[in-house]
Amino acid sequence: MSTRSGADRELVIRGAHVLDPSSGLDGVMDVRISGGRVAEVGEDLHGVRELDASGLHLFPGFVDVHAHWRTPGREEEEDLESGSAAAAAGGFTGVVMMPNTDPVLDRPALVSGLVRRAERESRVRAYVAAALHAGLAGSELTEMRLLKEAGALCVSDDGPGTQNADVLRSGMLYARSAGLAVLLHCEDRSLAKGVVHDGVAAALAGVPATPASAEDAATAAALVLAAETGARVHITHVSTALSAALVGFFKGRAGVTADTTPHHLTLTDDLVRTLEGLYRVNPPLRPEGDRRGVIEALRDGTLDFVATDHAPHAAQRKELPLQEAAPGFLGHETAFAALYTELVLGESLPLSRLVEAMSCAPGRWVGGLGSLAVGAPADIALADLEEEWTVERESLSSRSHNSPYLGRRMRGRIVGTIVGGELVHDRMGAKLGVRT
Amino acid sequence: MSAKDFISLENVGREELLEVMELARDQEEGRLGRLLEGRTVCLAFFEPSTRTAASFELAARRAGADVVSLSSGTSSISKGESLVDTVVTLDRLGMDALIIRHPAAGAASLASRHTSAAVVNAGDGCGQHPTQALLDLYALGKSLGGFEELAGRRAAIVGDILHSRVARSVIPAFGTAGIEVSLVAPATLLPREADVWGLPVLGSVDEALEWGAEVLYMLRLQKERMSGALVPSVAEYARYYGVGRRHLRPGVRVMHPGPVNRGVEIASDVVLDSSSLIPDQVSAGIAVRTAVLALATGSVERAAA
Ligand SMILES: [Zn+2]
Repeated sequence: MSTRSGADRELVIRGAHVLDPSSGLDGVMDVRISGGRVAEVGEDLHGVRELDASGLHLFPGFVDVHAHWRTPGREEEEDLESGSAAAAAGGFTGVVMMPNTDPVLDRPALVSGLVRRAERESRVRAYVAAALHAGLAGSELTEMRLLKEAGALCVSDDGPGTQNADVLRSGMLYARSAGLAVLLHCEDRSLAKGVVHDGVAAALAGVPATPASAEDAATAAALVLAAETGARVHITHVSTALSAALVGFFKGRAGVTADTTPHHLTLTDDLVRTLEGLYRVNPPLRPEGDRRGVIEALRDGTLDFVATDHAPHAAQRKELPLQEAAPGFLGHETAFAALYTELVLGESLPLSRLVEAMSCAPGRWVGGLGSLAVGAPADIALADLEEEWTVERESLSSRSHNSPYLGRRMRGRIVGTIVGGELVHDRMGAKLGVRT
Repeated sequence: MSAKDFISLENVGREELLEVMELARDQEEGRLGRLLEGRTVCLAFFEPSTRTAASFELAARRAGADVVSLSSGTSSISKGESLVDTVVTLDRLGMDALIIRHPAAGAASLASRHTSAAVVNAGDGCGQHPTQALLDLYALGKSLGGFEELAGRRAAIVGDILHSRVARSVIPAFGTAGIEVSLVAPATLLPREADVWGLPVLGSVDEALEWGAEVLYMLRLQKERMSGALVPSVAEYARYYGVGRRHLRPGVRVMHPGPVNRGVEIASDVVLDSSSLIPDQVSAGIAVRTAVLALATGSVERAAA
């Protein structure tokens, strides 16, 4: 984030429906921002600069702990500018960048370099997850203490995972002593030989399939090791009902948190029947039964929050038969609308639970974000819950277009995003109407 | 299967099957002539296949079409990134039909979105192989005295269903023709959700015969799957999932899309037995593929006009 000229100035946002479960706010109120922080929340506030947000909802800015901004190395697919523009367009004010870049973020100099670049080039707060093992290869530990000093927020081997349980156990023990959380993509590669979920759709389509046990077995192993080592472990993109239940069993037995993705909450493996590379993602889209299990686990808090796994890919890596396409979806710009449409309107998930899952809980996990308490960073998402819109390539801010929601009708849209008191996304200037 | 494309038999109707069968019969009886005269047919084979390629090429040439042929061995085409590029390039040549073979399921439908030509799927990964199933129906119908004779018969599809594009086309095609189908395979060679087809799953060729199978449709077992984690040994596979002379009885027909692993799916002395329809399947290929190309390119109406 660049140093903003206006960050010291005061701004009053007037008339929005403020919803922040972390501070118990729920009603039409005004918010005063000063020095980039929340200064006051109450009725009838006025200031030199005012923003009329009547008719809109105001949430603490969303926080995404799992994003691939492809920097360094694949900037033609995403860079800090486009990734953070996409995040801001989706209401995200804090994002954690995963380490599977080229080169891999496994050395302190690379981490500190990216942290500095992000300060200059990102519109939103961008954090770095460093590699847990050199080259994400799952054998040699990275210099975790130096990585932390260089600015790493947590460590992860994400995609490749750590396939050897003994190596993972050491990694957890070391990360605990380095004071870093371990973010885990749980997948047993010896079981994961396919590209889609091993279910009905795979049987009919004839595409190489991976059983759910690839995720479930790895999740179980990770949870057992977390309980034993005492490490702070976060399991990302939980996609099966059984894995969610396993996380529930280990809550209170281990320092474990977990997230799931908007696409696992809203889409099913029926889509792979199209055989289109666009629908390849890892973990794969699951059948309705798993989707239901994941929704219920999010509802009751077994799954703490939502992360998008925003994974841009160039067209030539997705416009391929399913089994040859690169896995991954865009996530930032559609997350809120997809979840509002499918879960809040479609499944009666309370809106406050969605805000808790997109803002408060991931904000606490990152530290100090996701709250509108007085003194907290003035990171805010403004949403128009009435707006209906269709996801179109042209409307996406990302440098890639691999959204599984292309052409879908959605309800609810982010119209403004504020980071540290500054408007970083303003889709309808007139609607927001800053008055000086 | 749309009017133009032959990509999958999953949702094919009885009328469409009948149309192919009748046209193939007309072709075989010499009533159609050079009905692809002036048409350009392109073969794009992203994986090697001598038999299917030769069958399509002969079908197209005998009916008078110009044939352009690309294969992974002889040109710059290779799998992966180049599929769409290759199709777009071929499209510029003004072809009427594109016959495509590719190692990935979905390749033919992806190709069809990038060309105005009719697309015929000649096998895509473990996905579909529609002309194989059509020629199987034709050969079987002929041996029984006509397409109408297929209804109510019982056929067992035996072997590696999990990895078989032939099975994914034969299962719906046989079903649409009115044939009762069962599956015979070990659990390691079935999709996890094989129940989706709603067909009985039987444990051996013997059980299939007890069930009343008149047709034993044997699938090829790939060399790399003949022992190890999927199948313990060739001996055990052949014992339960192979056809031997002891299985032959009046009225039982043996089919196989070829090439046969003799002594694995089918005992050597059965391959050429009179109960074997394998030679009929091969010869049905040209008539059926001509019919498919004629329908795909819209040449039939032209011939009739
Ligand atoms: Zn991942």
